Amino acid sequence: MTTTESTEAADRARRLQRVAELLAEAVTPQEVLDSILTEGVKAAEARAGAIGVLSEDGTTVELLAQRGYDQSVMAGWSSFPLEAKVPMSDVIRTGEALFLPSVQERNERYPALAEQGQDSHALVVVPLAVEGRVFGAMSLSFDRDVEFEPERRDMKLTLARQAAQALARSRLYAAEQTLRERMTFLAEASELLASSLDYNHTLRQLAQLCVPGLADWCAIDMVGPEGEIERLAVAHEDPDKVRWAYELQERYPPDPDAPTGVPQVLRSGEPEFFPELPQELLDEAIGDDEELRRIIDELGLKSTICVPLAARARTLGAVTLIAAETHPPYTQADFALAIELGRRAAVAVDNARLYREAERGANAALALAYVADGVALLDTKGHVRHWNPAAAAITGVDEDDALGRPVADVVPAWNALTSHVPLVPPGGAARPVTVPIVLGGRERWVSVSGVEFGDGTVYALQDVTEEHALEKTRSDFVATASHELRTPLAAVYGAVRTLRRDDVELSDYDRTQFLEMIESEATRLARIVDQILLAGQLDADAVDLELTECDPEQVAAGVIESAEMHLPESISLDLDVDGAQPINCDENKLRQVLVNLVDNAVKYSPDGGRVELRVRSANGSCLIEVADEGLGIPPEERERIFEKFYRLDPQQTQGVGGSGLGLYISRELVERMDGRLRVESEPGKGSRFTVELPLPR
Amino acid sequence: MRAEVAHPIRSTPLRRGGVSVGGRRLWRCDAGDGARSNPESAGQGHAKPAAGTARRVLVVDDERSIRLLCRVNLVASGIEVLEASDGREGLELARQERPDLVLLDVMMPGLDGWTVARELASDEETREIPIVFLTARADPSDRRLGEQLGGVGYVVKPFDPVSIGDFVEGVLVRIERGERDQLRRGITSDPDR
Repeated sequence: MTTTESTEAADRARRLQRVAELLAEAVTPQEVLDSILTEGVKAAEARAGAIGVLSEDGTTVELLAQRGYDQSVMAGWSSFPLEAKVPMSDVIRTGEALFLPSVQERNERYPALAEQGQDSHALVVVPLAVEGRVFGAMSLSFDRDVEFEPERRDMKLTLARQAAQALARSRLYAAEQTLRERMTFLAEASELLASSLDYNHTLRQLAQLCVPGLADWCAIDMVGPEGEIERLAVAHEDPDKVRWAYELQERYPPDPDAPTGVPQVLRSGEPEFFPELPQELLDEAIGDDEELRRIIDELGLKSTICVPLAARARTLGAVTLIAAETHPPYTQADFALAIELGRRAAVAVDNARLYREAERGANAALALAYVADGVALLDTKGHVRHWNPAAAAITGVDEDDALGRPVADVVPAWNALTSHVPLVPPGGAARPVTVPIVLGGRERWVSVSGVEFGDGTVYALQDVTEEHALEKTRSDFVATASHELRTPLAAVYGAVRTLRRDDVELSDYDRTQFLEMIESEATRLARIVDQILLAGQLDADAVDLELTECDPEQVAAGVIESAEMHLPESISLDLDVDGAQPINCDENKLRQVLVNLVDNAVKYSPDGGRVELRVRSANGSCLIEVADEGLGIPPEERERIFEKFYRLDPQQTQGVGGSGLGLYISRELVERMDGRLRVESEPGKGSRFTVELPLPR
Repeated sequence: MRAEVAHPIRSTPLRRGGVSVGGRRLWRCDAGDGARSNPESAGQGHAKPAAGTARRVLVVDDERSIRLLCRVNLVASGIEVLEASDGREGLELARQERPDLVLLDVMMPGLDGWTVARELASDEETREIPIVFLTARADPSDRRLGEQLGGVGYVVKPFDPVSIGDFVEGVLVRIERGERDQLRRGITSDPDR
């Protein structure tokens, strides 16, 4: 080895060492390519270099980077088929390095290249391989002819090995990096989708998340309730462009029958991927619209992905990703990522919808559980589908015993209950009908309304038994008051009419009877009117009491005396006084109370018996009792008899007279005199009413 | 107050008297032929008494004054009167005496007038006896019930007792003419105010 040769060898080793160091520091594919094409090309003493790799599908060679070649020469070489008869394709196919010492040799071997201008000399193409697998090649061009001695060849091969390893490592790193980014993106997207049940909101955020990392444009369209396409979100880094996109959508609404794009994806449920958007597709979409052509050109669409949002075999919407001005064209990996994103978003939307439905169902159930009206839902066959607690309470049939069974079996009276209920369509004004019905052995008044819809009928039941009872009490009062006023009036009027008859001669006896009738019936009429007026005054709290000292014995005696004047023969009336003391009270009102009580005692003793009025003093009170041996009062009625217009067993008492006001008035009056009125009774044995008034201190 | 059926007042000379029937008093007028002097035998021809014989009307009312009014005025029109002071008594008397017509109060202790009407209608022997309700109940729903129960007249208290005899006579004449259903329907359509 000569000194020059040894110096050159040492130089080569140093340069290789330098390249190795640079490659070791290079992390990204770009850094690796930069190192190879600057220091590597220099180390190889070459003028220019280029690196090409096999495409994902292994059919083409893509030129990753070059240095030193003329742009014009390289223009057509950004990618070329693996099958092409060119040095780089040959090397990648065969895995054998190619050393062409001169342009003559190159042109002999590759005549096609001879026609492509640039002055050229020696050419070396070495395969880039790791673990025996060739993934690309590196070309080195020299500005002179070079005889490649073995050590020079070795040096190029060593450089290629170093470059291949560094490039493979950096590509792996980049792929890992991309994978990690995608995983991070998916994780972020998932977190976002799970963050809220308002999926409209989260989907809008998701679209935002996709730009600019995954797309220049991201659009999300949903299938509306009527099957129409609703644009939910459009995202772009520039808000102005988003507004512009919406305007565009307004002007050019999507054709639901379009053979590609969102309509097609929504129809088919299949994703769509255009790594490179075919110009003819755009041309077809644009038609003759020059304005649209300008817009589409401005958009600079490169590559699109449209994936369905599909869950449980239903397509809910679609996500469209567009690579335009900045984003590189989409790869299979991007497509896979988009499909996964669509799947996750669809699950989230579906879950949110399910949750909402469940929540709505739960809220409805909650409302139905607490609403006071009974709600019964029947299917078209008349089977019970829903039976809320109020329906159970009204009918006396538990939900468990009702569900799934024919309603006529559940409530035998159902037909009677609902046969007159007009069924209205949904949204119609339900017209409730009030029906008396025996349910669980009790007579109830139930107000029923029904709405008929496609899948059955829903009935609302309201127990209006109490309202009905109240209404009945009122109408009973009207009937009795009317009776009580009309009967004496009939007697007075009739007596006068009869007395004035000139075609009949009345006996003195009859004449006297008619006159007495007029007198007593007019008195009775006045008393009824007084009672009604007094009850009204008590209601209005407008009763003035005149409290004076009075002797209860004297009052009681007076009441007995007047009662005896028209006492049925079967009744005996007694006064029993045991140590009466004077009290402070309104004497007239006390008399009124006692007259009422004695009247009642007589009235409710249809089979006669003894009525006793007892006056005594005990424990600082004056007690006046009215006891009879009559019908008595059932325990459950004992407080109700003091209610206004309430009449004990109207059937029994009709005709015996009374406005239904006597006891109400009596208790009100006694209480206004600081006293109490209470009743004890044994049905069939009689009753005892006690007026208790305080003695003066 | 109202005379539903205008009918010339019969100015038959009257001679009043009372006869005891099964413990009740039977008021009648002597129509001159003495046909009813023995009420015990009067059971047969109740549905359609021959013209000229006295009508017999049963008044069922717990109010003594109303019974008195009816009796005096009916008798004045030449009609015999039976009286009952409650529903049960009225039912018994109707079955026993088969009157030509019942003037029936509604609101009475024990059996009310509705029940009495129902009982009379359910009994083969008494279902033909015409019923005129004489009541303080003025509600249209009560009139409808009266019609349903087969009443042929509905008189609301207060009423003019002077024309009650003519009214009863008019009802009976129309029934004899076969207008019972029209009378019934008239109960609810009657502008009885």
